[in-house]
Amino acid sequence: MENNFILLFLVLFPMAGGVVSYIIGRFNKSARNYAADVVVLAEFAAVLLVFGQSSVFHLNSFCGLGINFESGGIRGVFTVAASFVWLMATFFSAEYFKNYRNRNRYYFFMLVTLGSTMGVFLSSDFFTALIFFEIMSFTSFVLVIHDESPKAQKAAMTYIAVAIIGGMATLAGMFFMYHSAGTLNFSELGKIISADNGKTPYYIYGVLIFTGFGAKAGAFPLHIWLPEAHPAAPAPASAILSCVLTKTGIFGVMALSCQVFMHDARWGMFILSIGTITMFLGAFLAVFSVDLKRTLACSSLSQIGFIMVAIGMSGLLGEENSLAAAGAILHVVNHSVIKLTLFLCAGVVYMNTHKLNLNDIKGWGRDKPLLKFVFLQGLLGIAGIPLWGGYISKTLIHESIVEYIAHGGTHGGLTIFNAVEWIFLISGGLTLAYMTKIFAALFVEKEKSPKKENHSLKNDCYMNKVSSAVLIICALLISVFGIAPHATLDKIAGVSYGFLGSVPPDHSVHYFSLVNLKGAFISVVIGAVVYFVFIKKFLMSKEAGNTVYKDVWPVWLNIENSIYRPVVLKILPTIGYAVAGTLSKALDFTLPSIIDAALTVASFLYSLFENLLLYGLIALVKVIRFMCDVYSYGVQLVLYFLFNYDDISYDGERDFREDAYFSRYSEDKHGEITGFRENLTISLIMFGIGVVCGLVYLII
Amino acid sequence: MRDYILLFPIFFPMLCGFFMPLLQKKRFWETVLFALLAVETAVVFYIAFNVDGDMAVTVWQISGMLSISFFCDGLGRIFSCLISGIWLMAAIFSMDYMKKEEHVGRFFFFYLISLGVLLGISYSANFMTMYLFYEFMTLMTVPLVLHSETQEAITAGLKYMGYSIFGAGLGLIGFFFLCVYGSSTEFTPGGVLDPSIIAGHENVLRIIYFEMIIGFGCKAGMYPLHAWLPTAHPVAPAPASAVLSGLITKCGVLAIIRTTYYLFGVDFVRGTWAQTALLCLAVFTIFMGSMLAYKENLLKKRLAYSTISQVSYVLFGVFLMTPQALSGALLQVIGHAIAKNTLFLSSGAIINRTGKKYVSELTGIGKNMPVVMLCFTVASLSLVGIPPTAGFISKWYLAEGALDCSIGNIIPILGIFVLILSALLTAGYLFTIVVKAFFPGNGFNYEALSKKEPGAVMLFPLIVLSACILFFGMFPSGFVNFFTEIFSGIF
Repeated sequence: MENNFILLFLVLFPMAGGVVSYIIGRFNKSARNYAADVVVLAEFAAVLLVFGQSSVFHLNSFCGLGINFESGGIRGVFTVAASFVWLMATFFSAEYFKNYRNRNRYYFFMLVTLGSTMGVFLSSDFFTALIFFEIMSFTSFVLVIHDESPKAQKAAMTYIAVAIIGGMATLAGMFFMYHSAGTLNFSELGKIISADNGKTPYYIYGVLIFTGFGAKAGAFPLHIWLPEAHPAAPAPASAILSCVLTKTGIFGVMALSCQVFMHDARWGMFILSIGTITMFLGAFLAVFSVDLKRTLACSSLSQIGFIMVAIGMSGLLGEENSLAAAGAILHVVNHSVIKLTLFLCAGVVYMNTHKLNLNDIKGWGRDKPLLKFVFLQGLLGIAGIPLWGGYISKTLIHESIVEYIAHGGTHGGLTIFNAVEWIFLISGGLTLAYMTKIFAALFVEKEKSPKKENHSLKNDCYMNKVSSAVLIICALLISVFGIAPHATLDKIAGVSYGFLGSVPPDHSVHYFSLVNLKGAFISVVIGAVVYFVFIKKFLMSKEAGNTVYKDVWPVWLNIENSIYRPVVLKILPTIGYAVAGTLSKALDFTLPSIIDAALTVASFLYSLFENLLLYGLIALVKVIRFMCDVYSYGVQLVLYFLFNYDDISYDGERDFREDAYFSRYSEDKHGEITGFRENLTISLIMFGIGVVCGLVYLII
Repeated sequence: MRDYILLFPIFFPMLCGFFMPLLQKKRFWETVLFALLAVETAVVFYIAFNVDGDMAVTVWQISGMLSISFFCDGLGRIFSCLISGIWLMAAIFSMDYMKKEEHVGRFFFFYLISLGVLLGISYSANFMTMYLFYEFMTLMTVPLVLHSETQEAITAGLKYMGYSIFGAGLGLIGFFFLCVYGSSTEFTPGGVLDPSIIAGHENVLRIIYFEMIIGFGCKAGMYPLHAWLPTAHPVAPAPASAVLSGLITKCGVLAIIRTTYYLFGVDFVRGTWAQTALLCLAVFTIFMGSMLAYKENLLKKRLAYSTISQVSYVLFGVFLMTPQALSGALLQVIGHAIAKNTLFLSSGAIINRTGKKYVSELTGIGKNMPVVMLCFTVASLSLVGIPPTAGFISKWYLAEGALDCSIGNIIPILGIFVLILSALLTAGYLFTIVVKAFFPGNGFNYEALSKKEPGAVMLFPLIVLSACILFFGMFPSGFVNFFTEIFSGIF
């Protein structure tokens, strides 16, 4: 297929726009804001241009393996959703950041993140996805840390640590995957793996790749960054993080589950279990939270869990997974729009009060009907109330679980799926409960404490027209999705079936039939019970007629602070350093001492040898001379007996001295030699003569 | 006659070195220095790109087997271009940097001679020549370490010299065996061992190979002879520590590649205990270097430990003995040389402008010198291996090569695990600096902020090197194709 350069444009244009707006921002702040707006608008237009249009772009050998983009189908849905969120967030940013420092930096990194996010959504293989995924992690890090408060710094470090660890795990998985399969293309991998019988290694590689994407999506147990980073970031950035960046993770998980491990029940079960835990955990944490944005962040966690349950179900259902597949992608869309609305509402609150604790902002929204309306739209949407967007996708997911149970699924026994269904309904109920909690705190409870300032801002003072328009558009979109699902959401699902490995259903779902409304009804009842029985009783108290939200979550019960941080920052480095340091130093310390020892030994040997040589020579000389002496005495003795030769007699009277030439002589007082007796040379000559004589005798 | 141009890059800088002390007082000496190095680099690139076929020139035939001779094969082209290009950048940086130091003439005397010596190593055609220049390299770079003449520097210099000469000595032992068991000691793709002579002596020769690599590994910072590196690199002036860390360690790598692929031959070593043992040493060194860097507070020492770790990535690739892994190793040679030079030069710029040496002092430094820290960030990304930087590509090839390796499953997978672990540690010891530098926290006093950005002379090399990191990361295919050509003979 021909290269479609618009796809490259989608990725590079925002990055270039980021550079341009940075340069503009050096000179004029408001011009910079408009430039950023223009960039995201153009991006949105370009994304709409390629929506539904199936085209490709290859750039061979870029970064080694080359990058491959594809458009159309589900990628259109993701990119349109992402650029819509970006559009809204960017328009909202102008007012939100009015009094901030380092705004140039924010806009630059926001636009580069947009480009790299597009890169992830357009990618048609894991290699391309990873490249842009990593770029996105690092640029979005700047958005999280933007406030530079200690809390933001800690959250951002957690975020980047999880992103790097996850990214490296994904990279490792890709090493193995590429080596075994020879490709990283989503659909080709699917074909190779489904043709291969020995699947077990592929599951391991899949889980490794999943780690990075799952961590970005916020899947348990690498969800820890999410409830920290989302509240710490500025509100538009939180919206981007929550609505789009988590979805890049979901995109990766979808690619793994619906393309690579297509219709694979075991893989589906794995995703389903992680999704179920995340879904419940997020909702449970949100109920306890007393911080507006933290509640929303935990809620994101929970909604990601819903999406992953849907993805897991689509794997389990195999060929007949259209309900689950539609539920997954529609919940992605719904959650993006709803969470965008809610985070921007939180942004409005923070922009005016600079507080997020429910006790501090209590009743702030009582006299602000517009904000109340928008927030309520978000609440009804996310809680899955019929006629609002969230209901449609949640119904689809619920129906897919019910369908699996009805078909007498073959995997894992039915009790598990009944449990999953109930956890699903309970999580839905909890969603309603925690959303009611923050809604009530913000818009219903009265602030009775006289100490605190009265929030009596006029309706139109707390946000400007652009921000209001942004909020209204988002809020209305939720209703549009909910009221006319067949005209909107079904169409979106329609283009996504191809990627999700399912065929469109024969007939459209009757969303508002009695059987489908039942699930929503059960959730609402559970939510009401939780709110009135649990939250009102245990998490709120009345002090002097004033409602107080209590933070009863035990501090130690924090998987990040009590397990991950100590293990990763203290225990593992200590062990590693002990090993590496000891072995490294050991050699550095022992080497000099080894050299010392060697020197000692060498010098000992050397002196030993030297001494041995000297003493040996002397000893040898002594031996020779002794032999000579013995010989000469012998000769003299023989001479004496034979010829009466008398030379021994005066031996004792004279004082003989020895010198270095081994001669023996006597001297007088003046040092003159008076008597010469013998020396070595004469002895040797004598010895030699004697030996010759002996030989001659023997021969003869 | 054409081939004699090969001698120019080797001896020209040596000659020029002698004039540096004379010129140091003159106003135009910087211009002269730049011109000399530019000519030098141009000639090296001309030889590498424009001369077809491999040149060879014998300078001195000492005896039948011994000669001083040079040639320029593919490997020589890569290393010579890398060395001269980076040397030029570091020299430009040092023109400004060395203004605050004393004995500038002496410094550049040894600096230029070292360049010639390093090029001599990359052009060496046989073991004898390489060994000669290898020892010369030690002797000519020790004065760079000694430069400040403090007690610390002298101790470090002696340690450096002791370790290096010991290591080179271990390498020399092998030479005698090669003379006996090999047909010659010319570097020949595929090795010089004579199968008829070595029959029955394989294990002795493998022991010899092993100790030779340990010896040459000393320069490359491989465990167990790595200990000089974190002592010597930090005390040298920044331009010297940059080339020590980035290039001189690579000469150790070159010696190892020559020994493995051009003297012993891969077939002789592949799959034996020697390969296993060396792989284990390399993997351990990767881990050890990263771990020690993670715990180190002195910035330049942290970077030196990082060098130990990163150069062992290269050695890991070299010892795997698969084409993919060797591609990864050579990419890592290039990527690390550029990135580590950027890091050392950045840290030099920081020391030069602010006097800050410890990591803990660097909070908010990104606000003072944003461009320097931006380059530092790009280099850090490359060392961690984040796409689209050069470090990512080399890691990709190393890992793919490791999985191709025929030595069983455990060591390659352990190697990949350690690569990933080391990447995490690298992120831990470099990104913390970057984050603290750019995001000092909202307690940071913006009023007291002063711009300390160095001048264009210092920034130019940093920016060029950072751009190279990104460029090589995005478009590595030219290198990879070239490597494939080189590998045709040796595998």
